[in-house]
Amino acid sequence: MTVTSIARALRVPKLIPPYTATGDEIAVFELAHRNRLPVLIKGPTGCGKTRFVEHMAARLGLPLYTVSCHDDLSAADLVGRHLIDASGTYWTDGPLTQAVRHGGICYLDEVVEARKDTTVVLHALSDDRRILPIDRTGEILEAPPEFMLVVSYNPGYQHLLKGLKPSTRQRFVSLAFGFPEAASEAEIVATESGIDPATAKRLVTLANALRSTADHDLEEAPGTRLIVDAAKLIAGGCDPQVACRAAIVECLSDEPEISRALMVVVAAIFGH
Amino acid sequence: MEEQVGIAWHRLVNRLAARRHPAAAIELASVSRDAALLYRALGGDHGVALQAGAQTRHGARRSWLERLAGSERKADLAWMDGQALRLPPVIDVYPEAGLNRDLYFWLAALCAVDPRPDLPWLTRNQAAALAVTAAFPGLAAGYRRLAAAEIARRPQLSKLPPDEARQEQAIRAALTDPGSVAALPAARLPPHPVLLWLRPEQSAAARAHAAAAPEAAAQAASALQSDKKRRIAEHAEMPERKGGLMLFRPESIFSWTEYAKIEHETQENEDQDLARAADDLDVIAIAQDKKSVAKKLRMSLDLAEAQGDSSPLDGDGMLPEWDYRTQLLKPDQCRINAVPLGDALPCALPLHLARDRQRLRRQFAALQPLRQRLKAQPEGSEIDIDPYIRHVAQRSGAESGFYTDQRQRERDLACLLLADLSLSTEAWVGEGRRVIDVIRDSLFLFSEALSVTRDRFALYGFSSRQRSDVRFHTLKAFDEPYGDVARGRINGIGPAYYTRMGAAIRHATEILGRQKARERLLLLLTDGKPNDADHYEGRYGIEDTRKALIAARQRGLRPFCVTVDQEAHEYLPHIFGKSSFIIIRKPSELPARLPLLYALLTR
Repeated sequence: MTVTSIARALRVPKLIPPYTATGDEIAVFELAHRNRLPVLIKGPTGCGKTRFVEHMAARLGLPLYTVSCHDDLSAADLVGRHLIDASGTYWTDGPLTQAVRHGGICYLDEVVEARKDTTVVLHALSDDRRILPIDRTGEILEAPPEFMLVVSYNPGYQHLLKGLKPSTRQRFVSLAFGFPEAASEAEIVATESGIDPATAKRLVTLANALRSTADHDLEEAPGTRLIVDAAKLIAGGCDPQVACRAAIVECLSDEPEISRALMVVVAAIFGH
Repeated sequence: MEEQVGIAWHRLVNRLAARRHPAAAIELASVSRDAALLYRALGGDHGVALQAGAQTRHGARRSWLERLAGSERKADLAWMDGQALRLPPVIDVYPEAGLNRDLYFWLAALCAVDPRPDLPWLTRNQAAALAVTAAFPGLAAGYRRLAAAEIARRPQLSKLPPDEARQEQAIRAALTDPGSVAALPAARLPPHPVLLWLRPEQSAAARAHAAAAPEAAAQAASALQSDKKRRIAEHAEMPERKGGLMLFRPESIFSWTEYAKIEHETQENEDQDLARAADDLDVIAIAQDKKSVAKKLRMSLDLAEAQGDSSPLDGDGMLPEWDYRTQLLKPDQCRINAVPLGDALPCALPLHLARDRQRLRRQFAALQPLRQRLKAQPEGSEIDIDPYIRHVAQRSGAESGFYTDQRQRERDLACLLLADLSLSTEAWVGEGRRVIDVIRDSLFLFSEALSVTRDRFALYGFSSRQRSDVRFHTLKAFDEPYGDVARGRINGIGPAYYTRMGAAIRHATEILGRQKARERLLLLLTDGKPNDADHYEGRYGIEDTRKALIAARQRGLRPFCVTVDQEAHEYLPHIFGKSSFIIIRKPSELPARLPLLYALLTR
C-alpha cells in the first residue's frame, strides 16, 4: 500500500462544504485551533463528523489530510517510510508527517480501528510538546501553529477488544455529535439532495422512527448520510418506498424479518 | 340425535350470525414482529411486550341473529397496560386480508402515539387518530380505507332506535373526520364496539382494584379473593340479561341446547377466571412457602451446628480446610458429593436469549484463532520488503529478518466456571428476576459465546450443607460437548443450602489443574460471602477461601470472581486480590457482561 492511496490531501478548496451547526461545535473547534489543542469528535455513523472537519478546514483555510483508519494501519503508514527507486532508497512522508511539516489539519477517521502502535505516535503530538519524532530518519519535527490533530471515533460501534485508552482520550478537546434536530436535519437533507422540503421532512420522520428502534431491533441507528442517499434516489425519480428499501432498510439489516418489519415503518410514512 | 341436531343448528346459526371473513383472516403471530417494531419506531416503550389480548364484553345491541347464536357478545379490542400492548389474536372482520393486516398496524401505531390517554374514550381515540394521521402519511392513507370498511361493517342506522342511531351517527362522524365530535350523545345501550379504536377504559372500581394489586403479598391475596367474588357476582347477573333466550327453552329442543351451550360457556369462563386467580394464588403460596422453607432450613441447620467439631471424615473425595485460628490446614475436613442433576431434560436455548446469542456469536467470532502474519522473520515463505529497505537505507546491517511467515495463532485456553447455587441466590434482584435466573442466563450466554471460540470450558455449580456434604453439580465437563444435554442441566439448576466456597474452589482447582493448557482460568460466579451452617462463617470462611485461591494460583491457575454482592468490595480484595474480581452493579447486566469480561480476561 502506498502512502498516497490512504491520504487524501485537500488543498484549500475554493468552496466551503456546507455544514449546519447543531451547537457550539464551530466556535469550540476554532478556539481549539487557536490554542493549539487537538480535537476528538465522537458520534454515531453518518452524523456529519467528516463533513464537519472538511467544513472547518475550509473555513480556517487549512489543508486537510484525511486518513481513514483500518485495523492494518500502522505507525509507518502515518509517519512515512523508505521506498526504493533506481538510485537507491529515499524517504517519503506519511500524511501525518506532511501535515506537521507543512501545517494543516490531520484528520484520523475512526481512530480506534488503527493498530495500537499508532496512538503512541500521536501522544507526543497531542500534548504541549507538539513534536513528531521520526525514528527511521532520526528527525524530530516540531509542529507549526497551523498544525492541528483531529481524531474521530464511533462510541456505539466499537470492536469488542478496542477502545480509546483514557490516557489518549484525555489529551483531546472532545466534541460529542448526535443527530441534528428534525427541522434542521430536514433542511440538510433538502439542501444536500435537492429534494422538496415536504419529502425531506417525511424522510427525517422515518429516520427518527427507525432510530427509536436502535439497540432493540437494529444494531445501529441510520445516519443522516443514509437519509440523504435515499433523498437523492427519490429526487432522481425513484419511488419513495423503493428508494427507502435500497438506501436505508437493506443497509441497516441483513435479516429478512427485520427488513420486512422496517418496510412496515416505511409504508407507515410513504404508503399510499 | 338431539345433540347432533343441536350442534348442527348451533353451527348454522353461528355462521349466519358471524360477519367474519375466515379466508381473509390475519393471525397476530404472523405480524407480531412487524407490529412490535412499528410500535417501537413510532415511540412506543421498548420494555413493552406485544401480546394477544382477551376479548372485551361490550354490552351493545346485537342483531337478532347474533342473539340467537349467542355470539358477538364480546369484541376483539386493543389496549395497553403497564406490561404489554394487547392486540386481537386474529383479525378477520374485514373482507380483505390487506385491511385486516392494516388494522394490526393501525392499532400498534395508535397505542404508540396515544397523546391523551387521560381523555374519555371518544375524544382520546380521535386525538390519537389525528396525531397518527398527521405524523405518518402512509398510515393516514391506510386509515381512510380502514374507516370506510369499519363504517360498512357497523350496524345500519335505520335498524337502530333513535337514541342509538344518534350515537352511531356521532361515531361515524368521528371515524370519518377525527377530532370533529366532542361528546357522545346519550343512549340506553353503549355503542357498537369500534375496532379501530382502543378499548374504553375500565370502570373506576376495576382500576382501583388493579392499582391495589402490586401491594404486599397478603393484601394481594385478599385482593384476589375480592376479585374472584366480583367476577362471580358479574357472572351471576348474566342469566337475567339473557332472559329473552330463555323463553325458547320450553318450546324448542334446539334452544335448550343453545341455552345449555351458553351456560357451559359461562361455566368455562368462570373456571378460567378462577383458574387465573388460582394461578396467582399459587404463585404467592409457593413464594411464601419457599420463604418459610428457607427459614426453617436455616433454623434446623443452625440448631444442628456442631460447635468446633473438626474430627476428620473418612471416605473418598475428602478435602482439607484452613483454620486461621490455628494457622493449620486440617486434612480431610470436607466431603465433596457429586450430585447429578438427574431429572434435567435436554432443552434448547431459552427464546429470550436468542438475540443476545446472535450478538455474542458475532463478537466472539473475532476471537477465533486466525492465521497471523509474522513480519521480519529470519526465515519464512515470502520476502518482507520493509526490513530490507530499512537495511539498505541505513546500511547498518541492524536488520536480520527479511521474511514473512504465516502461522496459526492458537488460543490455548481452558476455563472452568463455578457457579454459586446457594439459597441466597433465591433473592429477587428486581425486574421480576432472582439471582439464580440471572446466573442461569449468564451460564447460557457464556457457553454460547465460548462454543464459538473453541476454547475448552467446563461449568460446575455448588452448594453445601455443612462440611460433610459439599454438593457439586456437573453442568458440563471439559470432555463433554456443549449441546442440548448441557443446556438442560443449566436449565435445571436451582438454589439450595449454603456456600462453602473454599471446598468448592479446591475441588474445581483439582479438575482444572488436570487440563493441559497454556492458560487456565477459574471463574467464580457468586452473590455473596462464603458461609455454611456451622463454624464456616465470617473470618473463617473468608480465610479458608483465600487459602484455597492461593493454592489455585500456585498450580498455575488464574482465579477471577464475578459477584453481584454490592458489599463485596469489603472482603473480595482480601480473598481474590485487588484486580481479580468485578462487582456487577446491576445483576440484570450480568448475562451480557460475563462473556465480554471473559473476552477481556483472555485476550
